[in-house]
Amino acid sequence: MMLESIQTSLSLFQPEIVLCATVLAAILVDLIFRRRPVIVAGTVIAGLIVTAVLVGAEVGVRARIFSGMYVLDPFAHFFKFVILGSALLIVLFSLASKELKTAPKRLGEYYMLLASMTLGMVLMTGASNLLMMYLALELTSISSYIVTGFTREARDSSEASLKYVIYGAVSSGLMLYGFSILFGLTGTLGIYELNQSLLSMPSINWTALLIAGVLALAGFGYKISAVPFHFWTPDVYQGAPVTITAFLSVASKAGGFAMLMRFLKVTFIDLASSTQLASGIWAMMQGINWPLLLAVVSVATMVVGNFVAIWQDNLKRLLAYSSIAHAGYMLMGLVVMSNQGFAAVLIYFVAYLFMNLGAFYVVMLVANETGSESIEEYRGLGYRTPLVGVSMAIFLFSLTGIPPTFGFIGKLYLFAALVNQQWIWLAIVGVLNSVVSLYYYMRIVRNMFLKEVDGRKPLVPISIPVPSAVLLIFLVIPTLGLFLYFGPLVDVAQAAVSMFGF
Amino acid sequence: MLTDFGRVLAFFLVGVLFVGVVLLLARLIRPHHPYEAKNRPYECGEEPIGEPWVKFNIRFYVVALIFLIFDVEVVFLFPWATVFAQLGWFAFLEMMVFIGILLVGLAYVWVKGDLEWDKPQPRLPHLERPQPVAHTAVGAREEVTV
Repeated sequence: MMLESIQTSLSLFQPEIVLCATVLAAILVDLIFRRRPVIVAGTVIAGLIVTAVLVGAEVGVRARIFSGMYVLDPFAHFFKFVILGSALLIVLFSLASKELKTAPKRLGEYYMLLASMTLGMVLMTGASNLLMMYLALELTSISSYIVTGFTREARDSSEASLKYVIYGAVSSGLMLYGFSILFGLTGTLGIYELNQSLLSMPSINWTALLIAGVLALAGFGYKISAVPFHFWTPDVYQGAPVTITAFLSVASKAGGFAMLMRFLKVTFIDLASSTQLASGIWAMMQGINWPLLLAVVSVATMVVGNFVAIWQDNLKRLLAYSSIAHAGYMLMGLVVMSNQGFAAVLIYFVAYLFMNLGAFYVVMLVANETGSESIEEYRGLGYRTPLVGVSMAIFLFSLTGIPPTFGFIGKLYLFAALVNQQWIWLAIVGVLNSVVSLYYYMRIVRNMFLKEVDGRKPLVPISIPVPSAVLLIFLVIPTLGLFLYFGPLVDVAQAAVSMFGF
Repeated sequence: MLTDFGRVLAFFLVGVLFVGVVLLLARLIRPHHPYEAKNRPYECGEEPIGEPWVKFNIRFYVVALIFLIFDVEVVFLFPWATVFAQLGWFAFLEMMVFIGILLVGLAYVWVKGDLEWDKPQPRLPHLERPQPVAHTAVGAREEVTV
């Protein structure tokens, strides 16, 4: 009987198995075709595409497999597409990166580690057992520690890697401690069983539960770089290769958010007294004021991210703080504890995928030519290389949330969800923070278009190979296009959230 | 009645108590003759040379890691072996996949050269002239044996 359940589970686990096989194939291909990393990259791309197709074939399936370790539902599928999509884009970015070419010997391993990071993130989206969550998180983290220090000849890269390891070890330790308290309270690790156990208990030790919840939040908060667990973010984002920074800022965050949302929604929802469940608003268990706790974290994250970003002159570091701020915006969607809020986060993630990856891609293209990420390099870029300048401006407008871009739609849904649930003050804080972010995003635009170009120096255009230009345009199109035609995506996101669980 | 964690606590307390009692008992019974040699670190009967805080070759670390991976593999193999007969071919295949994955790791380690122990090639002090004394000594011994 056990054997049968394993066999049915395996048949539903095909995408992840293919991704696993991709990692192994990448190792072997790298060993066989040495010093030809392009072949490894090709293997990884093929593996990612096959995985995405298999996930596509699973859409609509809802099941809980491997004795409750892993869940398949539309929510997980949505995030899997975001993660696989960004992984695919990152592999394409990496092929164009000059920074990575400094270590051609290890480049094959780089692609292999990208695939294993992706595997960890995909597992994060569906994990429904605390141990599975922890394992998925560690798989992602350990791979990312290594790729962060990939250009180990660069000093700040090694520094970033070490800081990341130490910080990651501490926060995953805290998270494990929180999990162990949860296990001690309830005697179970499955999140659905945790929920039932907590509800059926005659009396709960609320202090212990609060401590466990906050400690677990530390682990999730580290992954999504929420304040006060954000200290690693700027250094790691600055030190890591640009491609990895982009990947961490989008896919890793998506995995962390997926896991946090599932954990909160499944574990702490009060099904018994929840009469409003049909309307998409959930009653949380008494005892821990999750909405307020998350609101405080969200405000702190937004404020710290935005206000520190103002002072940055290194674009990678600036975008690191901006990504902290975006984690704050997305946390607002969790505060309301309703389907509408969660759907808004999902929509925001799609917007964030295109605009943030786009912005990092421009940073990479400029750094390829100039070897620097300083804001000074962007002076007059709009005239030197209009394609890059205009694209960057679009991505930055989108990150701010100014109308003709998809970023606006993402923010609109977030704020709508907040206002619907009477979180007016939080919405106001969010809007004010967007205004602050306008300043530092526009500083770059000003440097690209409005700042006086030094007349003595000739205007040197940045040479962009055709494939890179095509990829750039490919990122610009959804950033603008989804502003006009976002209906289907919103429907998919809302369906994904309402059909949460198995 | 003890809860599950109560039992853990009891186990812990008994452990602490046991160690304490044995140490105390030993202190009461044993002879007491301290001298300097007893305080030296034990090095298989050799005279200790130098500080114990020396730098180890980083390669020990790599070897330890490789060992750990294949050691843990065996931990998984034992429970599998006990139920293998009941589970049949499917379990066999599963374990082969698991070992196959580890073999990829072995291949990786092998190709990357981490199984080679590259010995350091120390520069020996070069002597300018041969030592005739030693030469004659060997020759003399040969004559005796012949």
